[in-house]
Formats: sequence, structure tokens, C-alpha cells
Amino acid sequence: MNDHENFGAELRRLKPATPPTDFMARLAAISPPTPEQAETRAPHASVADAWRQIFRWLLPATAGVGLLIAALVWAGLKPASQMSGSRPQAAAKPVLKPDDVQIDRQLVAAYDAVAQMPGGEPVRFRCQQWMDEVVLRDSVRGVRIEQRTPRFEIVAAKLETY
Amino acid sequence: METGTPDRGRMDPTPAHADWRRWLDGHAPKFLLFARQQARSDADAQDLVQEALIEAAQRQRDGAPPPPPLVFATIRRRAIDLARSEDRRGQREQTAFAAMPEWWFDTSVEDRELGQLMQNAMSRLPDTYREVITLKVWGELTFAEIAEALDIPANTAASRYRYGLAELRKLTKEVLA
Repeated sequence: MNDHENFGAELRRLKPATPPTDFMARLAAISPPTPEQAETRAPHASVADAWRQIFRWLLPATAGVGLLIAALVWAGLKPASQMSGSRPQAAAKPVLKPDDVQIDRQLVAAYDAVAQMPGGEPVRFRCQQWMDEVVLRDSVRGVRIEQRTPRFEIVAAKLETY
Repeated sequence: METGTPDRGRMDPTPAHADWRRWLDGHAPKFLLFARQQARSDADAQDLVQEALIEAAQRQRDGAPPPPPLVFATIRRRAIDLARSEDRRGQREQTAFAAMPEWWFDTSVEDRELGQLMQNAMSRLPDTYREVITLKVWGELTFAEIAEALDIPANTAASRYRYGLAELRKLTKEVLA
């Protein structure tokens, strides 16, 4: 037995003071409900618990259903133009079938530049600036798509071959 | 009107009531000791025990007395509520024990001096140590039950008990040596 246990045992020698008689009489008047009393009280408690359980999920569920109904009503009241306006976004991609495709390229600029290699040898660069153009037409739907892409070409050439 | 149904407020001689009295005789002194350490006055302490017993007893549906850890926990919770409502906890901690005329321990002739010494020493302990020591030594709770009653980890309860006993020994060493 260590010191703590010895000291604890010594403390246990002391007994808590006896409560006053009138206080004990007050406490004696309280008693836990008998099983019969508990049974009669239990239904009330269980009903209350059941309502609490129901309200715990019923309120959020009601709110969710309300929001859903509001969204459906709002969607139903929306003008047809707005509703149809949103459709092509989803349907346009697979439907477009171009019946005319034009590919073109235009030379925008051409010039030469001369530079020196690290060894001192001169080198000429032939520079060409192009504009590539693709045009798609879907005459059925009246759609014309035009795409332009700039392109830069640099070709190194020996000075004497030019 | 007489209905033949026993009045709950009146003492009756049924076996259940006799059991309840026996249980009270064994536990009420422990509850009151704990409440006296939490309350501002002895009247408050008695009220705390009574309210805690009513609350704990109402939770019992099988007619059995409430588990002591639950009663201790309820006393403590009620004491905190009371202190908050009066907003004088700090003042209470400083003045309650000095003003408390009741003895915490049985003052039979042979233990009177020891009881007074221990009450004095206990009143100088920090709250956290005092309540764990009281629940362990006189409440006869396990550390797991103390942890549940005070809402702290069991390891914390055990270490507070050790530190509290060491502190208490220091405070009583000169006299007990």
C-alpha cells in the first residue's frame, strides 16, 4: 500500500456529517416513481419523445419539399421564350452539320532578316506572317462560323543559297 | 377525497419507501458533504441536494433509487447554475467556507480534531482537487464515475486525485506528523 492509499484510508476514517433530521424528512418525501407510476408516466414521455423525433426530421424535410415546390412553380411560370432560349445551349453542339467548308490562308507579310551565328557565319531568316482562315456554313440552320488564326513561319537559309 | 392511492408527499410504510429511506440514510450524507463544498450556505446546499434528488429520481422509471454519480453530477450542475444566477461565484469561493458554520464531517469525540483540521485543509484546496477527492474518498465513486460526473477524462480525475492528496498532505502534515 503506497502513501496515497494510506492517506486515503486515513481520510475515509472521517465520516460525512449526519444531515439534519428535518432535511432527511424532506428528502424522504421524495421517492422515485414506482414501476406502476412510471408506466403511467411513460406514455406521455414516449409521446413527447416521438414528437421530438418527428420534428427533428420533419421540419428540414418540409423546408426541402417547400423549396422544391417553389422551384417547380417558378419553372412553370417562366416565359416560354426564356425556356426555349436555354435549350440550344445544350442541343447545339451535336446538331451542327456544315454543308460548306472553306479553308483559306493569306500572306500578311514577308521579309528577310540576317543574323550571325556564334562562329561569325552570316545566316538569313525568311520570315512569313500568315493568317489562316476556316469558314463553316450550315445553310439549313443559317449558321456561319468563321475562325482566323495568325501563324508565323521562320525558315533559316544559308546566305549564298538565296 | 380519499382515493386509497398513497400520497407521494407523505411517508408511507411500503417496502419501496423503506428501501428509499435506507438508501437515503446511506447516501444523503455524501451528497450533502459534496453540496456543502459547492454551495454558498448550508441552506443552499440542502436545496441543491433536494432538487438534484428530485430531478434524478424523476428520470428513474423502474422505481429504483437514482445512480449516485448522476446525483453528484446534478448537484454540481445545479450549483453552477445557482452561482451564475447570483453572479457571485468568486465571492462565494472566498467567503463560503469561512462563513459555513456546519461541520462537514462527523464530529464524534475521537475524530473531532481531525475532522476540523481536514475541513480547514479541504477548504483551502483548489476546487478541482477538492471535488475529486470528495467524490473518490467519501462519495466512493470510481475514477470512471467521477469522470462522468464532472465531465472530465478519467485520467484527469486520477491525476487530480493524486495531486490533491499530495496537497492535502502538505496542508495537514505538521499537525498529523
